[in-house]
Amino acid sequence: MSQREYHIVVLGSGGVGKSCLTAQFVQNVWIESYDPTIEDSYRKAIEVDGRHVILEILDTAGTEQFTAMRELYMKTGQGFLLVFSITSMNSLYELNELREQIRQIKEASKGTRPLFTVLTYTDPTLQDDVPMVLVGNKSDLEDDRAVSRARAFKTSQDWGGVPYYEASARRRANVDEVFVDLCRQIIMKDRREHKRPHRQPTKPRHRPRCTIL
Amino acid sequence: MSDFVLDSNDTDKHASALVAPLNINKSPKRSRSREQRLSRRSSSRAQSQSQISPPLTPRSSRERIERAVPSLPVFHNYLRAFYHFHPSSTVSSSTDESSITVPISQGDVILVHSVHPNGWADGTLLASGARGWLPTNYCEAYDHPSIRTLLNALTNLWDLVRDGENGHLLVFTKQDYVRGMIGGVRFFLDKTQCLTRDSDLIVAHVGLRRMRKGLLGDLSSLVKTAKRLQDVLQSNEEPVPVFDHLDELILKGFKLVTRAVRFLDIWAQDAVSLSFDLGDASNNRPLTPPSDTADSAVQPASLPNHINTDVAQATEDASPVSQTNTTPAHDEQDTTLSQPARNLARLSVAFSIPSDSETLQSPLFPPGFQSQTKRLSHRLSYTGKSQGVRKENLASERLNIAHDSFLGFIGSFIGLHLQSRSSAELTLTTQQAVVACRQFLAVLEEIWERDSRRSEQLQQARTVMHARLTDLVHATKNMFSDPEADTGEEVVTPDSGKQLVNAATSCVRSAGDCVMKARQVIERIGDFEFEHEQNELSQSIFDHIGQPAEQHSQELDHLAPSEKVEEAEKPLPAPPSEERSMPPPLLISESKPLPEVPQESPIPENRMSLQPASSAVIDSPTVSSFRSSRISLPPLQQVPTPSPAQPNSSDFSPSPASVTQRFFAKSDSVNASVADSNSSYRYSMRGDTGSVISVASTRATTPDHSPAKKRSSQTLVSSFGSSSELRSMTSEDVSAAEEHLLETTHAHELVHNKEGQITGGSLPALIEQLTTHESTPDMVFVSTFFLTFRLFTTPVEFAQCLINRFDYIGDSPSIGLPVRLRVYNIFKGWLESHWVAESDSAALGVIFSFATGKLRSAIPHAGKRLAELTSKITEIRAGSLVPRMASSLSKTSVFTTADSNVPTPIVRRSQLNLLKACNEGRGQCTILDFDAQELARQLTIIVSKLFCSIQPEELLAQEWQKKSGSKAVNVRAMTALSNDLANLVSDSILHLEEPKKRSEMIKQWVKIGMFCLELHNYDSLMAIVCSLNSSMVQRLKKTWELVTRNTKIRFEELKNITEVGRNYTVLRQRLQTVMDSCVPFVGFYLTDLTFIDEGNSTTRLLHGESGADNASVINFDKYMKSARIIDQIQSFQKPYRLAAVPEMQEWMESQIDRMRKSDQANVQSYYRRSLLLEPRETPQVVRAAPPAIIEDSNRSVLTAESRNFSKEKFEFLNFHFSGNPAK
Repeated sequence: MSQREYHIVVLGSGGVGKSCLTAQFVQNVWIESYDPTIEDSYRKAIEVDGRHVILEILDTAGTEQFTAMRELYMKTGQGFLLVFSITSMNSLYELNELREQIRQIKEASKGTRPLFTVLTYTDPTLQDDVPMVLVGNKSDLEDDRAVSRARAFKTSQDWGGVPYYEASARRRANVDEVFVDLCRQIIMKDRREHKRPHRQPTKPRHRPRCTIL
Repeated sequence: MSDFVLDSNDTDKHASALVAPLNINKSPKRSRSREQRLSRRSSSRAQSQSQISPPLTPRSSRERIERAVPSLPVFHNYLRAFYHFHPSSTVSSSTDESSITVPISQGDVILVHSVHPNGWADGTLLASGARGWLPTNYCEAYDHPSIRTLLNALTNLWDLVRDGENGHLLVFTKQDYVRGMIGGVRFFLDKTQCLTRDSDLIVAHVGLRRMRKGLLGDLSSLVKTAKRLQDVLQSNEEPVPVFDHLDELILKGFKLVTRAVRFLDIWAQDAVSLSFDLGDASNNRPLTPPSDTADSAVQPASLPNHINTDVAQATEDASPVSQTNTTPAHDEQDTTLSQPARNLARLSVAFSIPSDSETLQSPLFPPGFQSQTKRLSHRLSYTGKSQGVRKENLASERLNIAHDSFLGFIGSFIGLHLQSRSSAELTLTTQQAVVACRQFLAVLEEIWERDSRRSEQLQQARTVMHARLTDLVHATKNMFSDPEADTGEEVVTPDSGKQLVNAATSCVRSAGDCVMKARQVIERIGDFEFEHEQNELSQSIFDHIGQPAEQHSQELDHLAPSEKVEEAEKPLPAPPSEERSMPPPLLISESKPLPEVPQESPIPENRMSLQPASSAVIDSPTVSSFRSSRISLPPLQQVPTPSPAQPNSSDFSPSPASVTQRFFAKSDSVNASVADSNSSYRYSMRGDTGSVISVASTRATTPDHSPAKKRSSQTLVSSFGSSSELRSMTSEDVSAAEEHLLETTHAHELVHNKEGQITGGSLPALIEQLTTHESTPDMVFVSTFFLTFRLFTTPVEFAQCLINRFDYIGDSPSIGLPVRLRVYNIFKGWLESHWVAESDSAALGVIFSFATGKLRSAIPHAGKRLAELTSKITEIRAGSLVPRMASSLSKTSVFTTADSNVPTPIVRRSQLNLLKACNEGRGQCTILDFDAQELARQLTIIVSKLFCSIQPEELLAQEWQKKSGSKAVNVRAMTALSNDLANLVSDSILHLEEPKKRSEMIKQWVKIGMFCLELHNYDSLMAIVCSLNSSMVQRLKKTWELVTRNTKIRFEELKNITEVGRNYTVLRQRLQTVMDSCVPFVGFYLTDLTFIDEGNSTTRLLHGESGADNASVINFDKYMKSARIIDQIQSFQKPYRLAAVPEMQEWMESQIDRMRKSDQANVQSYYRRSLLLEPRETPQVVRAAPPAIIEDSNRSVLTAESRNFSKEKFEFLNFHFSGNPAK
């Protein structure tokens, strides 16, 4: 059984510290010199609930103004990290639009289900389709907070109970957690979708056994 | 010995948790960066080591071993002896080459080259230049903040000289390298507040005054030597004298540092306590240097900071202890030493550390481990120059080799599968691949275990790798099991073949990951050596294929690090001083001082016991075989230590060639070198080939071969501590030129990376690099500086700093003048081609007064010219004409059909007329009316014009992201254009009612995209693909059914090229090959720049990891990285050789403009249109509500707030569009 590879897209308006979050997550320990130009700059192997997975992270930092590109980014993602800065209300508002677009694309790519039914957004059954995590970044800047926890949490509830985290890329608080949570959602979705078809009984993978060696 | 061998066979072959007992680890925090900086080359050393006999092997009981285990095996470049160690005083004093261990005396400072896991280090004594093996447990790591810079400089010098030995002499043709030493000395004196002759301390303290004089004398003669070497090299003489000069150079460096160490000892005692005992320096007992032993990092867990201080205090109060003179075992060198180099307080504190680390470390390192590997810890070498002589046992090399061979096998493995071969070959290849992989994993384990921090990352990578390999094996097994059952044709089914290839590919990928992580670990802990394993398993492994997994799981489990450690037994040699009881430091210093009388201490006893042992072995024929097979040693309390030293050296010193041969035969042989003359030092240092060795050894044994050198080495040894010698030195060398010698430099405030590039530095240090007098400043450095300096300093500060440089360098004709001219040139370059009026004009006043003041009086014509330039700049600013860099001038030139090589536009007269009509508002035309290639060309011209006008400043510090007042107008215009083009594509398709026409439009855009690709216009290509790939176009099933297969294939091609995954790998690779004009997709450059900006901090610490005394300097690496990307972008800023068709451009721009102005630059509106054109297939939805209405109902759910906001946002975007100069 080969290792799963999951694609995560990090979205949010400019200046919310997305790239910092991603860089912190990918490099694990602080490396003196960070080079984002190599192929594996945004790949990371992690273990979630005993499963080894590889995350490929697409961070659109710097290209937020390429609105036409957004969809291309979104298409590649299996899970989305929607990042705003707790110091900017606008950055939270802007996420609404991004989330709409994600849902639209994901629904459209399925094609079989009706895109918009009479269901409202608050219906949690809609949410379960697209793994998402809402992240309030810059939690270290408590003094400059412009978005209250309650407000952000309400948004996450409006979105159908999306998990909400407050993180600080600078202090490396909740950085791994948001990615792991998202990854867990993707795995769950994966399982649901591949329930019966061809799932072999797998032994616990903690200690792989190998005949050749 | 035999039982020892048995032992090792019994233990797991992979098991190994040996760590060199250099555990003193004074301050692990800073050694890492020092490693990086200084470990640039060690390859030739590795070579030479293999030709020298192995060290004495200290032996001990296991308990002792444990004690010696380090908490963090960090490699220390310098050690300081705190015991005497004279293993074979008779032998070593008579014949230089014959002793293998190097005698050390208390207070000696040693430059360490490698550390054997048994605790012996290969080091060079700074006091004598002698190189050999020495017991690390007699030493402690030596480091002190004030002398650190100097030590670093010396390590650099050593590396340079060693490179020089291998023929890389280029660096010596300039004197840059000496500046590191000068800077080190300066920094040292500065830190000790003894920089000037008139400083209070120097005036008041005779001893220090003398030492300072001596120090400067040493420095002066070092500089002179460097100068001579430079002269020799420039006069193109034959290389022999060069080596002498190199020897002299390094010895002078050693001497200088040795004296600095002594200086520091005196200073630490007297200066700090302020008790200026002017009497005799010989009675001075040095205090522990303030932050040396008192470094809390030593015993972070158990020993609070203040204890050390207490200890120091206690010893200060204690009566001085006489040490050296009473020691009969000492050679004359020691007795002549009157300098107080032995600090008992320091020693006792240091000595407590092992016992401390015992408690800390014992759980980590289980006892009773025996390893078949043999390791040495080295400074990791990055130099590419001497790869040929690299020692293959070095972990880094082993890693590379193992990785290479693994890749080789896995490559053929994949290859075989692609050809659908069957079993025989496949079996063999799989076997080979697995064996190679095992070896690879084994190397990883070695590295992992060697690192006491147990790098989690590496372990993770390895576990992944292991899982991958297991997958691979399973895949192979699956392939075989079926055919075997059927006993039929062994045909590889395509499915399982694919699976196999996938497994192999992911194996390769994780192997790469492993290598990366492993290198990081090696970098941290220092390179080391270990033996090739006898992998008899290799055959048997594969024999079991197809058998139940359980049988082999055990074997597999051995690969798991945790288990390995449990099984591990570790034979660390005991420190020679094993019988000594080790009371806590406080007790020692207070009540029972350390062996004041060395012969009473166990050390000499131990040494004595060594002697008979070694003589016993002298004639034994088994010696060499013992040595070669010695892997780890039996507990040795009963067994006399075999000292291979004597027999060996007496053996081979007459015939170096045979020695070489012998030692080449044994890859694991460890080296040792000898004695107390610089000839032996040479001996150990050189020797890439046998002939070189014999030359060196002849020279070494024949005094008259190089008399001068011999003499110098003698003076070197004897001069220390002898005040008369000092006086003669100083009176001779130190004079008024002292100030000149101590040329102010900030070289010690620079940080270099492994490749020797500057990655950080203080502003004065960076400016010094801009204005070096020895050589032309590096162009990349200069341009990066000019481009980015506004990000880390202000123009005024920059100007001020340049003027300071002008001031402090003085006006000496050899140094001052050239530097001053360079300062002028930098000012000139700034004003002429890098001036940004907006921010820089603040500095105009400073520059002008400098030009008319200091500069004019020093260099009149330069002052005049600079003053002229300044006023010109002022005038130009008034006329708002900022001179731009010359390079950007050619970028806007327009080509016409008249030029050669410009293709004729593909446009018919009728088309032109149509365009004219359209542009005058008299008609309608569509994209379909024109030739796709010409459309692509004209589009490219439009985009390229914009791209070429992007200024480097726009790309710095995320300027393009600024919400207001962004200066990155062209970058933003590019972005807007890209969006508009994408919208234009969607619009042109979606506004057509008939599916057939829509499919034709899609075809046309795919064609245009293909031509854009041909023109390397990736920006437009990206926009087109984006749009065609968007859900609103993709969902038009009826339309796509009508698109021809050919077009679809082409579209797939384009999609693959613009793939955003894997960090735009495809696109990046394509860009690397582009030589012509090009419009790259700016987006990923913007991402790169953003990540560089946010992922790298603006400052970095001068000495690696953080520490109280650690200054932070500008992280120039960050700016270099940004500049590199900007440079890449600029390299594409060449106009296309294409002829414009103004009519077509006008029409296209109007179309683009239409997109920009229409409020439809909103995905939603297009999506609605798409739904109208080809409604959803789900009937209920269509019936329930038309799409548009659905959309509205959706919208209504959004909060009013957010709706308002999104409206605002679009207005915001429009605002920026309108501010766009691209129109």
